[in-house]
Amino acid sequence: MQVKTTRFGVVDIADDKVITFPQGLLGFPDHRRYCLLEPGDEACFFWLQSLDEPALAFVVTDPARFFKDYEVPIRAEQAESLNIDKIEDAQVFVIVNKVGEMLTANLQGPLLINTLNLSGQQLVLADKRWSTRHTLMQVGIEEKQAATA
Amino acid sequence: MLVLSRQRDETIMIGDAVEITIVDIRGDKVRLGINAPPQVAVHRKEVYDAIKAENRKAAETQGTEFNALNSAIRPGRKAGLSPAGRINGAATPTTDNGQAASERAPRTPLNGNNARRRAST
Repeated sequence: MQVKTTRFGVVDIADDKVITFPQGLLGFPDHRRYCLLEPGDEACFFWLQSLDEPALAFVVTDPARFFKDYEVPIRAEQAESLNIDKIEDAQVFVIVNKVGEMLTANLQGPLLINTLNLSGQQLVLADKRWSTRHTLMQVGIEEKQAATA
Repeated sequence: MLVLSRQRDETIMIGDAVEITIVDIRGDKVRLGINAPPQVAVHRKEVYDAIKAENRKAAETQGTEFNALNSAIRPGRKAGLSPAGRINGAATPTTDNGQAASERAPRTPLNGNNARRRAST
């Protein structure tokens, strides 16, 4: 299908690549269908693009690249609601934000996605170790850091 | 908003399954005990609000702001974006990572080890 985006123009999305968040994301309950745009083979940041709202997109990343001790506890009922049978079938992304000169990641509200049926949910973690703004890197020296990561 | 007065150790019911008990009252602080089915998420509202606010802020990110970050990201250049065909590349764990995830499976936490780590190879 053809998806209009304000950032990337019209993107062609295969129907079986659509990620559904049945409850939307927090603050965006009405936008439930997204796709993940991977800019290139070596990309570590991706865009989670809404299929319904061209202007709505989030930068997301794999938290394991940046936070070695970060874990997302999945309760049985959460796994059940996303039909996750095996933990390997799930993947976590976190939403990236730019705050001043810093890039931050929201570790308190990770996105849990069932990679088999591409359904997802934004979780709310009670663990006080994780906040909505963990520093990823300072903008400007990121290429050097990415190269050494 | 429904407003009820309750004393210590008194309870209100929400539906058939959610119980909220006043455990303790000290000064301007009230301690609540909550019994709810596991599928009912219970969180402090400020946590929700913080995540909502962060989502809204993140949604304002412009494509150009990430040009320098990820040398491969060139928003606006369609050629630089794989038309969603790469979603599997981003979302499917590779073998080594899947293994790492399964080692942790008994504890049920998910860590990002189940993601691909092409940058580190």
